[in-house]
Amino acid sequence: MSETARESEPRRLASDARDRVRFEEEALELSDQVYRVARRLVSTREEAEELMQETYTRAFRSWRSFTPGTNMRAWLLRILTNLNIDRGRRKQRAPVEQPLEEGDYYLYNKLEHTSRDGNLDEERVLERLSQDEVVGALSAVPHDFRDAIVLVDIGDFTYADAAQILDIPIGTVMSRLHRGRRILKRELADRVEEE
Amino acid sequence: MIEDLCDKCEELMQPYLDRELSEEERLEAEGHLAGCGHCARRYRFEETLRQFVRRCCEESMPPELKAKLAALRTPLS
Repeated sequence: MSETARESEPRRLASDARDRVRFEEEALELSDQVYRVARRLVSTREEAEELMQETYTRAFRSWRSFTPGTNMRAWLLRILTNLNIDRGRRKQRAPVEQPLEEGDYYLYNKLEHTSRDGNLDEERVLERLSQDEVVGALSAVPHDFRDAIVLVDIGDFTYADAAQILDIPIGTVMSRLHRGRRILKRELADRVEEE
Repeated sequence: MIEDLCDKCEELMQPYLDRELSEEERLEAEGHLAGCGHCARRYRFEETLRQFVRRCCEESMPPELKAKLAALRTPLS
């Protein structure tokens, strides 16, 4: 019945090796995209580089557990976020301090208020923020919220993919994203004000 | 009444921009946006903001790291 059972051992090994090489090539092709997300999940470039190497080491070792035809980028990021949590890189969650959060339109309203004629030129107003300030504002968002923002806004993942990667329900992704973006806007508003 | 609609539209903004709304909700948001400059300006701002944040936060992978990752592949025997 099964043809594979009749295959000779060398043939099976050769086919296995081909699958593995194909897997490794595909994973490497995705590494730029995986890095872009990894870089914003941790604080420093060094941490991101270490995490990437650990992720690829584990991925190459356990390549058989990847189901061909499914989303490999999400699979790699699942490994990466697990490693990030396991290794205790995350600071202990602050037990009491609730991040400051305003409404969805907080930043818009703030900026509109400061524009002379009440007509907001978004691009020009945002250019008042430097790249470092924006990166700083994102880093100031607590981990749980930031992970969701980074996966969806920088990694372009759907809510469903982000839920799978973070191993949380989709409703939790939505609420973390929602609150996280509000916190981010609050952080950005603080930085615009300092100008 | 109008304020209620704007509140609803604000609620829909994030999933709308994430393309995660149902068809019905998407049409509801777009129907309101077509006639409400207040909400339309805020949606446009949010979209520009997201692109801006993304641009600022994207960092390319150092080529040396790519080489290190490639070296982790299983050697061909």
